[in-house]
Amino acid sequence: MSDNGSPLTITVRIQRFNPDVDRKLYLQDFKVAWQQGMTILDALHTIKAEQDGSLTFRRSCRHAICGSCAMNVNGRNMLVCEQPIKAHLNRKNEITIRPLPYLPIIKDLVVDRTTFWAQYMRVKPWLIPPENIPEKEFRMSPEEVAALQDAEHCIMCGACYSACTVVGTTKEYIGPHALLKAFLRVMDVRDSAPGERLADIAGSDGVYRCHTIFNCIDACPKHLNPTRAIETLRKLAQKRLAFEAARAERQKHLDKPVTSG
Amino acid sequence: MRIFQMQRWTAIALLVFLTIHMIVVHYPPFHIDFSRIAARMGDPLWKAIDIAFLAAVLIHALAGTHQVFTDFQRFSRLHRVHGIVMVVLGVVAFIYGTATILAFNPEVAAEAALHLP
Amino acid sequence: MYKTTGFVSFMLRRISGMALVLYLALHIIAIGTVNAGAASFDQAMNFLQQPVFKLAEIALLAAVVYHAFDGIRLLIVHYFDVTSYRQSMFYAVMVVSAILVIAGGVPIFLFMLETM
Repeated sequence: MSDNGSPLTITVRIQRFNPDVDRKLYLQDFKVAWQQGMTILDALHTIKAEQDGSLTFRRSCRHAICGSCAMNVNGRNMLVCEQPIKAHLNRKNEITIRPLPYLPIIKDLVVDRTTFWAQYMRVKPWLIPPENIPEKEFRMSPEEVAALQDAEHCIMCGACYSACTVVGTTKEYIGPHALLKAFLRVMDVRDSAPGERLADIAGSDGVYRCHTIFNCIDACPKHLNPTRAIETLRKLAQKRLAFEAARAERQKHLDKPVTSG
Repeated sequence: MRIFQMQRWTAIALLVFLTIHMIVVHYPPFHIDFSRIAARMGDPLWKAIDIAFLAAVLIHALAGTHQVFTDFQRFSRLHRVHGIVMVVLGVVAFIYGTATILAFNPEVAAEAALHLP
Repeated sequence: MYKTTGFVSFMLRRISGMALVLYLALHIIAIGTVNAGAASFDQAMNFLQQPVFKLAEIALLAAVVYHAFDGIRLLIVHYFDVTSYRQSMFYAVMVVSAILVIAGGVPIFLFMLETM
């Protein structure tokens, strides 16, 4: 029911493409009856179940943590599972859903994320622990945790990567997702190879390719800030040796926290 | 990284140089002719400033063009080629531009004034 | 296309940048006429001070001013943590550029009228 009591019908406009049949992308309209609490993903499910079983899209957890359902809704990248559909309707109660931009389309709303993952692996996204691992646990001070700027909240949904204009022009760019991960590992006091990482990302495909367009911040469903991470990495890359030395000094006593003061 | 740093430093230099250039050469607007420019350029300091300005603007412009080309994947295999082209262009333009700046001499201006109808 | 203020600023930066590179080439060639003597320089300057070039100069001013203030914005983003003000900074650049282009363009325009 809509606000005035009459049933609300939503027009969901979806970009379709079936590689076996279609030569061009096209938009198809579906009518869906709105229900209380309906998310965009619910609408897609309804269409797939009741109107067109061939509609293809990725989804899994429905709780904004798996990162499968990032799509381009009305020109903005978002996780469709966490967005109430009513918040994205225009005056005619229409909503336009397209696959993530700048990436090759496999079918309908599913894109090819090969370059996304290849670039991710390029920054060695895992932690490289030091040789002297503490017996009990690594201890970090609140300041050291705060310096990570919640970058570990990233769910690898690809919203930032496919919003990035630079990715649109060249797939050689490492990309905001991987640079944010590199930032997380570089800033992490438990990581023993920050110098190596900074050298890896300081090339012309890395932090210096970013043109500070901020699309990654606008797109991130977890409210992370890849642009700020990239700016930080740029600064650190210029004083790489000093940073590496400070990290080595810090890792001499990883079993107790060190405050910055 | 070097290109990025170059762009940063020449950008800051250009902010200074361009402000000077705009105020001194173009405001308030007047009819530009050789003698007016040469009168100012008689001071070797102005020549030095203009040569530094030329160097900064060439670096910024050509490095910027290089970056625009690099951003397109289809040109990326030619990265080195257009990099070398930019350096050559820059050197040629710098030599030519320096010759131009040095050609503004007040003595020549005085001479030219004699020949004016 | 992912259209945001950041995208617009990037495109304007690139377009104004390439326009300025072309202008720089023309500028070096035009001023280079002095190498052939003061007379040829004055001839070139007389040609370039026709009204149509004055109008082009206002467009040039717009490109220079936008490119400069966009650059200042990027320097501020690099040296200070201001990414949360990204939209306001873009609009600030547009407003300041517009004011400066008008303030600088009016004298050029008046001068053009004078010489016509």
